[in-house]
Amino acid sequence: MNSPTLIRLLGITAMAALLSACNSNPPRGPQCSLPEGPHLDQAVSAARFDLETGCEERFQEYFQRLLVIAEGDPKKENKARFSEFLVWANQEGLLSKRQAREIYNRYFGVKYVSLIGDYSVCSHTCPRQSQVVADMQRELADKEQGLLKVSADRRAYHRANRLFQETELVLEATCSACGAVE
Amino acid sequence: MKTGMLCNDRRNSMPGVWLITGCMLLAPLSAHSLTRAPTLKLFPTTVLEEIRHTGSVAREMETGLQAVIARLDEQQALFVASKCEGGEGDPGCKQIARQLGATYLEMLNVMGDRLPAMETAVTATTSSLEKRIRRELGQKKTPWTLQELLIAEDTAKDESERPALRGRSGMRLSDRFSQYYQLVARSGSRVNSSLAVVASDIYLDMQETAHLIARTREEINRATLMEQLNQSFGTITPEMQEVVAGVKAILFGEEQALTLSAPPDSDPAREYASPLQL
Repeated sequence: MNSPTLIRLLGITAMAALLSACNSNPPRGPQCSLPEGPHLDQAVSAARFDLETGCEERFQEYFQRLLVIAEGDPKKENKARFSEFLVWANQEGLLSKRQAREIYNRYFGVKYVSLIGDYSVCSHTCPRQSQVVADMQRELADKEQGLLKVSADRRAYHRANRLFQETELVLEATCSACGAVE
Repeated sequence: MKTGMLCNDRRNSMPGVWLITGCMLLAPLSAHSLTRAPTLKLFPTTVLEEIRHTGSVAREMETGLQAVIARLDEQQALFVASKCEGGEGDPGCKQIARQLGATYLEMLNVMGDRLPAMETAVTATTSSLEKRIRRELGQKKTPWTLQELLIAEDTAKDESERPALRGRSGMRLSDRFSQYYQLVARSGSRVNSSLAVVASDIYLDMQETAHLIARTREEINRATLMEQLNQSFGTITPEMQEVVAGVKAILFGEEQALTLSAPPDSDPAREYASPLQL
């Protein structure tokens, strides 16, 4: 048997083997389809199931989808739903406690996780003042989604917005006084 | 700018009233420092005194200028009413223009006389505040503790008690300092967070004022020379009008349409507290 014929024969055999394997043992990989529909509780259940069964790498996408679904029915209780969901994610090992805290507070807290830091304002914050303010600005947009659009908590959002303005002002003055303005 | 308003404003013109009011306002501050610790040491008596003094200097300058500026406004109105714009060849218009120019020179002279004192007062206050802000907010606080300071008594505060942020004041310079003084003295007995905001506000405002004063002083010599030349020709330059408008804006403020956020509608007592809350 010449070599082209042999290669062809091997190829056919391999294909047949693959096809028979497909027929007898269909793949059961994770579907990872983001939850649909208007009901947050059902969406959370679906998300939990997927995240427990191989979709954990897409946690952020699931979380975002849940926020969008919750926007359809904004109410104070939604804060608790998301808190429970993040606590669960921590217990399941999908997130560390620190990550869970940071995500929760980024969306549903008044304080800014962008300002977490252990060193003095002069030494740590002022050299990157504009970056810090830009991070806070982005976080304020997330708080708008979490506090206002999902939780309908205008008061908390108002406080977060006010805190942003005051922090920006105080940082501007402090960094100027520290002599480390960019 | 409403020059009519300036003539009606005679408040706080007596130094004695300032002194008594100052002592009364300082009393709760010292009592507070004995009862509650740690406090933010942003406004010791010396800084407070400098703010009060800067306000007084600004008021003196305004008092010296308001009559001149009112006259300028009148002459400007007469110039417009007489349809002199574009008709400078007319002898009557020339006369009005010369008078206008002379009043303008008078304004520049008053400013030239008063600005050095203003500059000294502003520089002293800026320098004291700078040291305090650097130490109390820049070196003693982390970004997180700074944030906690700002939010600390947020819930207890009424919107009306909050200091207005920069750019919202739209008021005379002396009134602004007077308001700063009142704010500091009042909030000294209550809220550290407000003090941080007020200190920052004053400090940045002072920096801006110092910058404007320096620019104005530079301009005065040049403008004086130009106007002396113009007096020979009796013309009103757009530059003159700009300088006057600038002086009015700095000293007497400008009206601004303010848009405030809608008031909150929820009950803070029923707020959800997550175990994840920081």
